[in-house]
Amino acid sequence: MLIEVFLWIYIYLVILVIFAISLYGIVFRPNILKKIIALTIFADTANTLMILVGYRFIYPVSPPIITSIKPTPEQIREFVKVAVDPIPPALVITAIVINMAVTLLITFLAIQAYRLYGSLDARKIAKLKG
Amino acid sequence: MTRKDLYVIVALILFLITLAYAIAFAGIVGLPAQKDLRPLGRFYLTYMVNSYVKKFWAASPEGVTAILWDYRGLDTLYETSVFFLAIIGSVAIFRLTREDEKELHKREEEVKDTGLSIIVKLVTRVIFALIIAVSASIALHGHLTPGGGFQGGSALAVAPILLIFAMSRYFVEKLGLKESTALSLRTIGLVTIGIVGLVPLIMGLGTAYFMQNQPKPGSVFTGFPNYVGDVLLGGSLLYYNIAEFLAVGAGFTVVFLLLSIPEDVFKKIIRREGEVAH
Repeated sequence: MLIEVFLWIYIYLVILVIFAISLYGIVFRPNILKKIIALTIFADTANTLMILVGYRFIYPVSPPIITSIKPTPEQIREFVKVAVDPIPPALVITAIVINMAVTLLITFLAIQAYRLYGSLDARKIAKLKG
Repeated sequence: MTRKDLYVIVALILFLITLAYAIAFAGIVGLPAQKDLRPLGRFYLTYMVNSYVKKFWAASPEGVTAILWDYRGLDTLYETSVFFLAIIGSVAIFRLTREDEKELHKREEEVKDTGLSIIVKLVTRVIFALIIAVSASIALHGHLTPGGGFQGGSALAVAPILLIFAMSRYFVEKLGLKESTALSLRTIGLVTIGIVGLVPLIMGLGTAYFMQNQPKPGSVFTGFPNYVGDVLLGGSLLYYNIAEFLAVGAGFTVVFLLLSIPEDVFKKIIRREGEVAH
């Protein structure tokens, strides 16, 4: 029991540290490409947190997929006892797709900015005129 | 260290303390570790393939796909639309006129015999077919096993990027996979999702809902076919998965084709545009 609680808090702390590192990257790194990388790390950490929240700390545990084609009520009852929550994975896949779309668009903008200004330094681009 | 840096550091520390407090004491994310299902999750797991309570079922033994395309179908529809808009935006940023495309094809002669070594090229030819088979398997079994349209489409997109790296961009275009073709495939996928969503409205004569999968009480709509003999089709989930597979695969192909335009060609185009503007 004690080791379970320790592991649980440890995972949360690791996720918090990664959050902090990615926020540092978004705010302080001047290179736009590094900002984008930090943003994707931030989104992935949030998704990991969501999956962790949806996990069931029991043994045995199974994914939310029934393995028989026409399950009887008995099988369904047994399945609900061991299966994890299907809602967080469903939310996470939506979040992944939208995060990917956002990353795609800002990457294209960054490439075009590099072609036009010859630099990816956010400080330099902000000072350019015309 | 300037004053601005100090503000940022203080804000970050405050944010982390708030987050830690919320997790540890307010129970926002469910400390201690979850041992029981939440009521909504229990509902989905109990009824998704329960053929004894047909009022609520989605005819899919895969919980995540059942939620994605049946219980919360509109979410996924708009998510696909967001991805589509992002691709439209990328094409708009990297737009090429007719002249620019001529410029692009001038480079074709120069890079004709370049590319990676013959070993890589040969292996790519073999693996290309395998990737397409695996991705189709992921997408077509989306309502039975882990995976689905988006995952299958992402796997499918590996095939063109492999060809681009091993041969060249022009090789992919010669295969008939131009940007415009891929963009039309992408649009066809999204339109198919819309049409499959509209089928219940038309067949239910106003008593069914948009993106409805299986029959509900009080509706004339008889539902998409769920079992054919012993084969589970998952109602409309199969069609949505196929359409999404096509849409995502083609969408990624557009992006990779745009990203693989040679840099010096783009530099030339931008310089010419600058001259015209002055």
